[in-house]
Amino acid sequence: MIEFKGVKKEYPGGNVALDDFNLRIDRGEFVFVLGHSGAGKSTFLKLILHEEMATEGKIVVNGYDFTRIKNRQIPYMRRSLGVVFQDFRLIPTMTAYENVAFAMRVTNVPERRIRSRVPYVLNLVGLQDRARSYPAEMSGGEQQRIALARALVHSPPIIIADEPTGNIDPELSVEIMELLCAISKVGTTVVVVTHEQELAAQFHQRTVYIDKGRVVSDSCPVPSRPTFLAHGTGEASR
Amino acid sequence: MSISGFRYLTKQGLSNIARNKLMSFASIGVLTACLVITGVAALMSLNVGKFVDYLGAQNKVIVYLKLDADDATIESAKQAIGGVPNILSSTYVSKEDALNETKSWISGYDNGAYANVLDGYEGDNNPLYASFRVTVDDLSKIKDTVAELAKLPGVDFVDAPSDLAGTLVSLKRAVNIGGWGLVAVLAAVSLVVIHNTIRITVFARRKEINIMKFVGATNGFIRLPFLVEGTAIGLISAALAFGVVSGAYIGVLEAVSRAGTGWLSSLYFTIVDYNSVWSLLLGVFLVSGALIGGVGSAASIRRHLKV
Ligand SMILES: Nc1ncnc2c1ncn2[C@@H]1O[C@H](COP(=O)(O)OP(=O)(O)OP(=O)(O)O)[C@@H](O)[C@H]1O
Ligand SMILES: [Mg+2]
Repeated sequence: MIEFKGVKKEYPGGNVALDDFNLRIDRGEFVFVLGHSGAGKSTFLKLILHEEMATEGKIVVNGYDFTRIKNRQIPYMRRSLGVVFQDFRLIPTMTAYENVAFAMRVTNVPERRIRSRVPYVLNLVGLQDRARSYPAEMSGGEQQRIALARALVHSPPIIIADEPTGNIDPELSVEIMELLCAISKVGTTVVVVTHEQELAAQFHQRTVYIDKGRVVSDSCPVPSRPTFLAHGTGEASR
Repeated sequence: MSISGFRYLTKQGLSNIARNKLMSFASIGVLTACLVITGVAALMSLNVGKFVDYLGAQNKVIVYLKLDADDATIESAKQAIGGVPNILSSTYVSKEDALNETKSWISGYDNGAYANVLDGYEGDNNPLYASFRVTVDDLSKIKDTVAELAKLPGVDFVDAPSDLAGTLVSLKRAVNIGGWGLVAVLAAVSLVVIHNTIRITVFARRKEINIMKFVGATNGFIRLPFLVEGTAIGLISAALAFGVVSGAYIGVLEAVSRAGTGWLSSLYFTIVDYNSVWSLLLGVFLVSGALIGGVGSAASIRRHLKV
């Protein structure tokens, strides 16, 4: 699904953000990517999205090999990724409904399908009542869930969330995380990028540590009870 | 692309024009003005061309034969003229024909007051020359043709509007070159104006464009609303310019046809009539308006698609 082999990213100006970076994430996995500020997490995401290009090494995302991907294939590669950006990237002049529908229009989905699918994903993130609200009228957590709804709308094989708990209070962040867990249970690959070590510790999932542009640890936890159940019972998982 | 997608994008593009009222108005205004000037230049060029052709056809070269030329000389002169290059046609006008023509011309003048002044000049008293009236094919080569005609046997002298012809030829060329130069400059000006207008829309929506790219929109999809916006501005300007130029030209035509005498009325037979130009005018306006609008907007969005 996602494969980085010996990837180096040097920004113009000489900043080396990733160096000999190796990581493989398979179908259906739930992975935390952890690292301090400046470790190279956002760079990792930008490379997956083909927003930036690797200086060296090989990247394969959903079968698209970036060393030989053609410009006209990039939109289709991106459609196979659902990304919840750290800053959400919602369009302020559009309502919640339109923001989600927009992602479908952009990919030529027929209007009839849009009308049935958008309410469904809004319901999934619990925001069916805010369909007509504009981003400015919503809380950070609500905006984030709209962004998640947009990421989910194509049922992409991979969902990537950048700092999904960065802007919201702990209760909401648990909700978001549980939603992501539920999504991963149905076979979607979920990658959560964060600097919050405790967040990753609460969920017993594979955790990849990045430091100074390299993977320094990659641990698979012992199998545990479903994480959202663990949370539902408070202290049970600690 | 699906039909509903296309409709959606077209609507987006058209609503951009409304959202961006001031700049849209400004660019429609400038583009309309440019097209109007282009249209006027084209009509002027067409008319000058037709006028020059008309004058060229009117101004016959007259080859006067010697006064004592007999039938044999006339016949051999006729043969010789036929052999000179660049001659379109030649008509023989005998001494009698010339006298009769002059008489009828004079008797038509001032209600026949001078109808009889030429009585008594018939036959051997006829002071007029027999001549060949020759039309040339290429006016720009008239000097050489006249020189050749003057050398022919039996020819006394050749009367040719060579100075006028030269002037007309260079006038036609100047109008054409000037017209095309003007069109090129105006096209460049229009392109820059449209480019800037669309750039403002693009800039206002750069975040949206960026988001579109990351949710997997193709470049064609992102470009379409802007192309629609630019093309619509171009087409609206074309329609306006067509209205203005048509109105003005019909006005000129009416003035010419109503002017009984004077210099205006002399244009009556040579002016290009509206029915034969309106479709050309409309076609050129629509095509160039759409092209300038489309190219201008495509250029403004290029930079933002490179993500
Ligand atoms: N566009 C850029 N040009 C030059 N250097 C950059 C650029 N973007 C990031 N860097 C550098 O690359 C390194 C990794 O940055 P990156 O944004 O990937 O870190 P991060 O792990 O996302 O940090 P944070 O948690 O603060 O977001 C940093 O040293 C940063 O200064
Ligand atoms: Mg970052």
